[in-house]
Amino acid sequence: MPNTQNIPCSPPEGPAGIGRRLAGPEDLRALRLELSARPRPKRRLWACGGPGCLASGALEVFRAVEAACRAKGLEEGSAGLRADLTGCLGLCERGPLLEIEPEGWLYGGLKPEDAEEIVEETLIGGRLVPRLAADPKHPLKDGIPFYLPQKRLIMARFGRSRPGCLEDYLAAGGYGALELSVTELGPEETFRRVERSGLRGRGGGGFPAGRKWRALKEASGSPRYLIANGDEGDPGAFMNRALMEGDPLSVIEGMTLGAYALGAEEGFVYVRHEYPLSVERLSAAAAAAEAAGLLGEDILGGGFSFRLRIVEGGGAFVCGESTALTASIEGREGQPRVKYVRTTESGLWERPTLLQNVESWANVPLIVKNGPDWFQATGSPGNPGTKVFSLVGKVRRTGLVELPLGTSVGALVNDAGGGVPKGRRFKAVQSGGPSGGCLPESCLDLPLDFDALTAAGAMMGSGGLIVMDDLSCLVDAARYFTAFLSEESCGKCAPCREGLPVLLTVLADLTEGRGRPGDADFLESQARLLGATALCGLGKSAANPVLSTLRHFREEYLEHERGFCRAGHCRGMYLPEVDAGACRACGACQKACPASAIAGRGKEPRRVERGKCVTCGACLAACRFGAARAARPEGGPDAGTA
Amino acid sequence: MPEPPERSPARGRGPGGERAASPPAAAALTASGTIDGIPVTVRRGTTLLSAARELGIDIPTLCHHEGLPPEGSCRLCLCEVKGQLAVSCMYPLAADGFAALTGSPAVMEARRHVIWLLAARAPKAPRIARLAEEYGARPDPRFMKDPDGCIRCGRCVRACRASGPEAIALCGRGYGRFVTGPFGRPPEDCIGCLACALSCPVGKIAFSERPDRRRIWERDFELAPCPECGARVFTREQLAFHGAAASALCPSCRRRAMAGELRKAAAFEAAPALARSL
Repeated sequence: MPNTQNIPCSPPEGPAGIGRRLAGPEDLRALRLELSARPRPKRRLWACGGPGCLASGALEVFRAVEAACRAKGLEEGSAGLRADLTGCLGLCERGPLLEIEPEGWLYGGLKPEDAEEIVEETLIGGRLVPRLAADPKHPLKDGIPFYLPQKRLIMARFGRSRPGCLEDYLAAGGYGALELSVTELGPEETFRRVERSGLRGRGGGGFPAGRKWRALKEASGSPRYLIANGDEGDPGAFMNRALMEGDPLSVIEGMTLGAYALGAEEGFVYVRHEYPLSVERLSAAAAAAEAAGLLGEDILGGGFSFRLRIVEGGGAFVCGESTALTASIEGREGQPRVKYVRTTESGLWERPTLLQNVESWANVPLIVKNGPDWFQATGSPGNPGTKVFSLVGKVRRTGLVELPLGTSVGALVNDAGGGVPKGRRFKAVQSGGPSGGCLPESCLDLPLDFDALTAAGAMMGSGGLIVMDDLSCLVDAARYFTAFLSEESCGKCAPCREGLPVLLTVLADLTEGRGRPGDADFLESQARLLGATALCGLGKSAANPVLSTLRHFREEYLEHERGFCRAGHCRGMYLPEVDAGACRACGACQKACPASAIAGRGKEPRRVERGKCVTCGACLAACRFGAARAARPEGGPDAGTA
Repeated sequence: MPEPPERSPARGRGPGGERAASPPAAAALTASGTIDGIPVTVRRGTTLLSAARELGIDIPTLCHHEGLPPEGSCRLCLCEVKGQLAVSCMYPLAADGFAALTGSPAVMEARRHVIWLLAARAPKAPRIARLAEEYGARPDPRFMKDPDGCIRCGRCVRACRASGPEAIALCGRGYGRFVTGPFGRPPEDCIGCLACALSCPVGKIAFSERPDRRRIWERDFELAPCPECGARVFTREQLAFHGAAASALCPSCRRRAMAGELRKAAAFEAAPALARSL
């Protein structure tokens, strides 16, 4: 796939390395003391450099801020005032964001024109500019409801350090876990801390990391390899990207600890092809760590070596599957293989291999440094720690949210996300990426943990959550995800290659008014068979969008069989009408209608003129009072029964 | 077209096969359990498919070929082990106490499903049509988007790799996956050996032969005469590809020559001194 995202690749990052090789753990400790003893800037602007903000123009804002600093005669760090780029601040909805230290204000929705005022008033003057606050009611970042339920462990350094900057990483306590390991714990205790932590794989499956670690430890054969999976391909998900771009060293330190504990000498970070900035930041961070003696040969003078390579992905969704990923690193076509032998026994080049998601690796330094008990204090029993979710769709506040596992879906959607905007009603949340599932309103109390989500027919996946309101059609949502998976199916095994187009054909028929009675049952049996017969994890879970929507929204399927879409989404499968009782005569629907099909003036309730209506749904989206709604089409098999 | 032999002698088993079936180190040599309730003891690591076939149990396969590394991609040979479906062509019987079912309701349902899907791709292929008939899985025209006759099992590609040239490959992904030479052109590295066509389970790969010429993959090959009898069996490219390792003789002359060698060897054993003087 070509890189179409046009995101600038070389933002100013400050010094990446420390300019010398550390002789040993004592040297590391001394350097950290020295770094943290340095006077902190009097005031610092942290410009968010996360994926969302970069896409909404953060870099232009940051350059304008820099230019304004220069215009004011503020050179690099002079007068204790600084402006720096940092990792994802989370509240993407209001990007580009800027956090002000030490006051803790959060500015949002910035434009390059705001730069002068920011520098003059806030950076130099220390005064809040209320109109720039990301949330006008809560100028303090910690006061914004978005951040209240959060616990930021993985994202702790976002807004505290420059991305991939080794000095900042060390000053913030980075490499403290490695230091502890090589001086006090030793490989065995390092391993045991991870094993006892109960950490579960953050890539989606939730497989106990400790069991994988033990399997690798006990596997025979060498060399042995470590892999970090950064092939994040779910639509709407970007937490791995934010991590690799914002704090690449935490992934690298985690892998180095794994190498130390398990005797691996070589590792790979497999990064999605479409993430050039992740590749660049990881490569720069690895180079800086290597130059400092924290990676590569003879780490910290302790005689153990760990070489790390950053590998660019093959550009296919399926490459995120572990066996396809190893095939891709080996230089073969990225296709899964039948897995009766575990990757920990025979993985990359048929050698013992430990593959974990980048977020799992980023948890390792925290666990090793603070111990398993500390780790288990967060989260719920059986699901310790935090998880970063990317919250997108029909919520007021979209962005990256880090929550303790076990937090309820409702807390994420309504507290952090602020609920569904524009007077619409919550309908469903799609969890776990394309092969996850859709959960209805009754699931808002469900805890966000691996087991509860799976039991409800969805899955944790990598942590993507897409909120849908009552204008979203769940049959069409299933069609969208099935189309994505069908497009991304590698085509190796028959059930996935031939079976997904079968599902897609039926779903397309249902959403385009060609549904047939019995289609829902047929879909269910086909989806179940796909799950039972496909070769790899992706194929087996590819039926989830259909199965979970059938499970929770079967009625909508049955309506689609008869040519009705209650969400008013599927073209030609509903007629908009205005409920005269609920209409407040605001005229919003009239303004939105491209066909001038809505009659009524002044204070009289509006009504749809059927002859002119093109069923585009604009009036439904425009109405804030639920008065404009989808009715069954006339003449359909069910006309008059509504 | 003749059906390719399903159970040719297991020569040149590829690395993939060993990978799937290799027994864990330092384990016992055999594994005992049951297949469809029949007690059986096999060499540890034997695949479920070969163990079942040894018992005379019929499990249909398409992508599997004894002479090629298994892939487990057609999913036709799915059997039930521990309540889950497993591809029997790759499932290693690695420990005692296995209890596999080759014809349980779940297995039959899965098998029928796979046949139904593939029948929409190759409705006319005799083998597929027969299976569809047998399992009551006639394809539905609603889902026949591209019935081009190929079931994408990749046996041709694996056969080509095993015989050496690696001239063709599966290209693209998902439903649009197809077998082709590089860049969609006639494969330059093809040596006209017919390994692909003869290993295809559905007879999709067409070729034609005249007494001295062969045409396959839109390429023409000249069949070289046997230096002994003049019969034309191998293409010039085939002989060149295998070089000195191969004899240019046709198979029957090669057997004759081999028989002569054996006769000499036998004579040597019987009377070495005499044989030396021959």
